[in-house]
Amino acid sequence: MSVGDVFFLVAAVVALVGAVWTIASQSPIRSALGLLTTIVGIAALFLRLNAQFLAAIQLIVYAGAVVVLFVFVIMLLGPDAGAVSKRPARARGSRVASAALVFVLAVLLVVSLVGAQPSPTKFRAVSPEYGSVEAVGQLLFSRGLVPFELSTALLIVAAIGAIAVARARHTPKRVKAGESPTRRLFHGPLHPRDAGRPLPKEGLL
Amino acid sequence: MIPIGNVIEHYVLLASVIFVLGAVGFLVRRNALVQLMSVELMLNAVNLALVAFNRQHSSDMNGQMVSFFVIAVAAAEAAVGLAIVLSFYRLKSSVFSDEADSLRH
Amino acid sequence: MLEALFPSDDFRLLAIIVALPLLGAVVNGVFGKRLGREAATLMGLGTIFLSFCLCVATFFRLAELQEGERAARLVWHGWQWLPLSPYRGGPGDQIWLEFALSVDALSGAMSLVVTGVGFLIHLYSSKYMQEDPGFTRFFCYLNLFIFSMLVLILGDSLPVLFVGWEGVGLCSYLLIGFWYGEEKNAAAGKKAFITNRIGDFGLLVAMGLLMFYVGALDWKGLEAGAENLLQPQQIWPFGSHIPFFDKLGSFGEWVNTPRAVTAATLVGLALFLGCAGKSAQIPLYVWLPDAMAGPTPVSALIHAATMVTAGVYLVCRMSFVFVMSPAAMFTVALIGALTALFAAMIAFAQNDIKKVLAYSTVSQLGYMFLGVGVGAFTAGFFHVVTHAFFKACLFLGAGSVIHAMHARIHDTDASQDMRNMGGLRKYMPYTFWTFAVSWAAIVGFPLTSGFFSKDEILLKAFTSGIASPLPDGKVGIGAREIEIWQWPPWAGYLLYGLGFVTAVCTAFYMTRLFIGIFFGEFRGWKIVKGYKAAHGHDDHHDHGSHHAELGLAIQGPKPHESPWQMWVPLAVLATLAGVGGFLNAHLFHLHPFDSWLEPVFADAAKHVKLVEGAEGYVYPLLGLAVLAFAGGVGAAYYVYVQQRGEPAQRFTEALPGLHRAAEQKFLVDELYEETAIGSVDSLADVAVVADKWVVDGIIARFTAFVVGAAGSVLRFLQNGRVQAYSLSMVVGVALIGWMLLAPRAEARTRVDDEKGVYSVTAAPGLGYSYRWDANGDGEWDTKDYAAANEISLTLEVAQKRTVSFEVKNALGQTAMGEVPLERPKPDRSGAFEPAPAPPDGAPPPDADAEQNAERALKIIENLPGIKQPPAPPASGEPQ
Repeated sequence: MSVGDVFFLVAAVVALVGAVWTIASQSPIRSALGLLTTIVGIAALFLRLNAQFLAAIQLIVYAGAVVVLFVFVIMLLGPDAGAVSKRPARARGSRVASAALVFVLAVLLVVSLVGAQPSPTKFRAVSPEYGSVEAVGQLLFSRGLVPFELSTALLIVAAIGAIAVARARHTPKRVKAGESPTRRLFHGPLHPRDAGRPLPKEGLL
Repeated sequence: MIPIGNVIEHYVLLASVIFVLGAVGFLVRRNALVQLMSVELMLNAVNLALVAFNRQHSSDMNGQMVSFFVIAVAAAEAAVGLAIVLSFYRLKSSVFSDEADSLRH
Repeated sequence: MLEALFPSDDFRLLAIIVALPLLGAVVNGVFGKRLGREAATLMGLGTIFLSFCLCVATFFRLAELQEGERAARLVWHGWQWLPLSPYRGGPGDQIWLEFALSVDALSGAMSLVVTGVGFLIHLYSSKYMQEDPGFTRFFCYLNLFIFSMLVLILGDSLPVLFVGWEGVGLCSYLLIGFWYGEEKNAAAGKKAFITNRIGDFGLLVAMGLLMFYVGALDWKGLEAGAENLLQPQQIWPFGSHIPFFDKLGSFGEWVNTPRAVTAATLVGLALFLGCAGKSAQIPLYVWLPDAMAGPTPVSALIHAATMVTAGVYLVCRMSFVFVMSPAAMFTVALIGALTALFAAMIAFAQNDIKKVLAYSTVSQLGYMFLGVGVGAFTAGFFHVVTHAFFKACLFLGAGSVIHAMHARIHDTDASQDMRNMGGLRKYMPYTFWTFAVSWAAIVGFPLTSGFFSKDEILLKAFTSGIASPLPDGKVGIGAREIEIWQWPPWAGYLLYGLGFVTAVCTAFYMTRLFIGIFFGEFRGWKIVKGYKAAHGHDDHHDHGSHHAELGLAIQGPKPHESPWQMWVPLAVLATLAGVGGFLNAHLFHLHPFDSWLEPVFADAAKHVKLVEGAEGYVYPLLGLAVLAFAGGVGAAYYVYVQQRGEPAQRFTEALPGLHRAAEQKFLVDELYEETAIGSVDSLADVAVVADKWVVDGIIARFTAFVVGAAGSVLRFLQNGRVQAYSLSMVVGVALIGWMLLAPRAEARTRVDDEKGVYSVTAAPGLGYSYRWDANGDGEWDTKDYAAANEISLTLEVAQKRTVSFEVKNALGQTAMGEVPLERPKPDRSGAFEPAPAPPDGAPPPDADAEQNAERALKIIENLPGIKQPPAPPASGEPQ
């Protein structure tokens, strides 16, 4: 076994263990750590696949931002984040059924994959620039320019949307019945000639 | 002898397994935070498959580019998703997704 | 400089004149709330004033151009607007109607009146409406009105005029119902709008007829082609005969006798229907008195000074069409005279000062039509101008009075009732004096504007008439020849008589109004509630209940003079009403107005004939006019001042029926209610059945039921469990996955008929493997499945073979497919004709399965990207 083989095996095992840990642990903070483990493992696999740039991005964005965000939210929610639900679990049947269905599908997929091509072909060698920051950057700013700019817009919108969704709400002031513009439109006073009532100086009439 | 980590199948198998783990996690767990993490797992699995296939067909780097965008989308999704979890927590004092039943008939 | 900026063939100044009020309307309408009152006032007044200044500049530019007989016209060509003819041939073949504006002497004078009087009334409104919550809305509507009125006046063709015509109708509707919170006002607005639609129908018909007979709608084209209107047009019976009546003997024969009139008469009558609607003539006058529900400045601007005179303007504008038909002109004159008298009769018995003025407006409009109807277009139009001055002044004065009264009596009807007024000259000196001048003008006090304009109309009503447009009085050829209807010799006496009686009546009721408001004691210290004209007959029944309120003294301020924004316009208008007559004082041989308009009416004037010795009638008729004034005013003075209204009381008691009839407007509204509105109502009752059962029952309710039922079934899927939703997602994914994995036996075939080489490619799929039966012997070529999904084989000429294959997916499921192949025989030339490609989606004409398969192969062959077989050698195989 070469060094590369060992590297792959270790990274794959790390990613798998992280994934299992993520979905299996009771406490969300442990799940977050599991996710982090998977992310690191996959970043290592990216390196093995000559995707240095993506490996770095994976670590920066996922490990540095997304997982931290998860941890933040878990911290914000405090003990409630990992509390056991007070209410009995609902829809257990459909949860189990869908999980089983997914599992069956996955097995079918893997079997058909294995059955299709019994003899794997090795990756061909690539130049050292393949997957480097320069090469991917070149690509991103030429062919991928439009989606790249769109993704920046997406991130901005997502940030604003997150703020809008998560901010504390103030209860809006209720309009008094007599003050409602519609009401005034249909039932409002008409003219000073009309019965000497005092009129609003400004209004929607 | 089949080389380890140098053929597409190993990567695709690993990606499938991680994806299925994510899917099962999403479906089985009730904690919305863990469900979101499961979504991230699935996205990561897809990324891995993309990069591996790109390595197989290495004449260009479109797969890596798409992975990059997937990562961007995943980050946005995580931000909005966590914001929704927060505001749901304000509403119901709970993070369990099966308690989101206000729109029930 | 003006000429350099705005050359006369592309006079863009007109567009600016029109656009300025529109700008004001848009700004006030959209941003009025935010701008605040001051800015809205400035915007409203400023744009109109600028527009007025530009109108003055245009007027001077016109005066420069107009020399002697030649009519000057400045045109702005906007854009191509409507295709007038159906499209045939090339692009140049279509006749387009331009959206163009033009100004000549007539429209120049009218636009001056509209913008000038309009500006004064805007100024007045800025104070009158000050306290109103809808202040900016009011100015938006008012500016929009001025815009529409300018489009109406300056439009260079009937359709453009029609846009303005409808625009002023809309603004009139909006402003009558300005205080739409009260149902009465909203109903008055609707009445005005719907009555005007009847008139607009006439105008639309006239446009269609003109397009048919003349083929043009712009002034220039109409003027050039007006002669075409002199042709007979059968109007009865429709079609060849009336089916039932032809079996009725001589009566049926009489019914079925063809009757024809000239096209000019048709057009003239249709146009006049439009004018009667807009200018409130019999039978469509009913909306104008009700229109007084709007704010008083609106009554002054729209329903007295400008919009209602649009009908007169249209008759003047189309004078060259009207004079083609003596019958139409006589109708115009007669209807005008009758309306004048009829409205004056109603005005006698009204107590609401705005109602009196409204009926007086209808009456004066009748005068104008009398004038233009007898061919005295200048005289009629001059009355438009003077009437704009004095009636606007009267209305604004009435508004000022109401403004003062309302400060005391907070009741709309009571503050407009002249029985609550009296003696106001002490409290409101400016209003009194301006009102006095305009009163003098309308009753025909010598040397005021109304005296000159009315006198001219009466004179012309007696002396002038319309001659036959053709010398022999006949039109048409051969059997279709008809005689043109001629004015009867007594027409002058009749029209003059009606006009004279109206003049006396006008003097009487206007003096009654004047005395009632300003003279005697102020009766408003104690008011009588419910003192409404419409409730006259109720008074008799429950006299007792009214007595209880009689003594009620009202607390409140004394009547007061209005602020300067209100009396300055009054003063300006009163001055014009006083001295404006000298613009056209034929008595003193001063007639700049006449000579200014002369070129416009030059064509029409050729058809006007005067009675013999017309010059000799000037002074006798002048004497009669003064007599009418003196008689009317004197009688009113005697009745209401000397005898304090007792003769009127006695008259009412002697003839209660007549008085009540006049008070209730001769029940015309009720008549319309019973006939026209009633029949429409019964039609609606029938329609409601269809609406209830067909539209509501089948279309609405049944659809709603189906959707609702589907919803109540699908509702059970919406159980609020996220996991259940994700399960449905997973099921969907599973189905798609199954579709991807299930074996599908599909194949494509490449055909080379000439060489006989056929290759079959089975569709690829995830995890598929294949085995083939290429030789068609029914046995699989290999036992095992392999990855190869393509085979090729060679066939002899006319050889048939069915190739089978089997697909196995990763799960071991299999599917079998067959591809029948046949190499056709070459035709006589040896060529293999490619089968004609059928249109997309259409099934091949023959149903035979084998042929279908063969055709399918051929189609594949013809697909792009697949090589066509090379042309076969010319020799070919002999058959």
